[in-house]
Amino acid sequence: MTEMEPREPGIDSLLRHSLAAPVPSLPPDFDQRIMRELHRDVPRLDRYRRILLTGYGLVSVVTCAVVMRSQGLGWGVIALTTLAPLVPVAVRTRVRS
Amino acid sequence: MESDSQLVAGARNGDQQAFAELVRRHSAAVFRLALSILGREFGPEAEDVTQEVFLKVHHAIASFRGEAEFSSWIYRITFNQAVNLKARVRFRSPHADDTVLYRAVNPQPGPHLQAETAQRDEALAECIRTLPEVYQSALRLYYWLGAGVGEVAALLGVPENTAKSYLHRARQLLHAMLKEKGYSCD
Repeated sequence: MTEMEPREPGIDSLLRHSLAAPVPSLPPDFDQRIMRELHRDVPRLDRYRRILLTGYGLVSVVTCAVVMRSQGLGWGVIALTTLAPLVPVAVRTRVRS
Repeated sequence: MESDSQLVAGARNGDQQAFAELVRRHSAAVFRLALSILGREFGPEAEDVTQEVFLKVHHAIASFRGEAEFSSWIYRITFNQAVNLKARVRFRSPHADDTVLYRAVNPQPGPHLQAETAQRDEALAECIRTLPEVYQSALRLYYWLGAGVGEVAALLGVPENTAKSYLHRARQLLHAMLKEKGYSCD
């Protein structure tokens, strides 16, 4: 019980009476439901992330190639400078798996 | 038993068991807080809020820096989520209030008194709805959900004295509002 002023017990008992009602509770399988929902959600997020990254990567490669070509570089150099950064990524992925 | 911060660290590293344990530990409190904000007519919505909060927490757990307690963080998310939902559902007709059922199995002495009580309860409910969210939540936690002042304070993320003053101020305001409507609280 919190401290009350003299006029408060009236409103206190009114609130106790008026707000008395059964308290709902979460279903017993609620925790499992959350975990199921998360398992469903993670692959979806992964897929979106992968699509976004792939799109970004492709646009970058094409833009780089166009800019470098407009500067007069040969296709060999363009391929080397564009694809070389992918080597550490590929190595890392291989090491991880 | 692992602490919340150990479980959070585990969950950040993709340990689903650690996250499941966090859900098990905090789901009831999150649900109670959501209920206290939405009110007793919106039990199913409080359940939805609880689910949304944990999905949000799971996505954002990497950004949790641990400067505050995990529980404070999750209660703050719950409070915001529930208040946002409340703003959206405010003008929708609520589910059947289970107080009706409760009153039916706990009948009042006579029909006249019963009608009077129902009127006063309705007036009180109306007054409560006009109070600031934190006052409403504190009142429902304390008077409906049976929380102690300590729990009210923890769920609302304030010191105990502040929770006490929320309750005190809410009672004062309600007393004045009911008096204005012509109902006596004495």
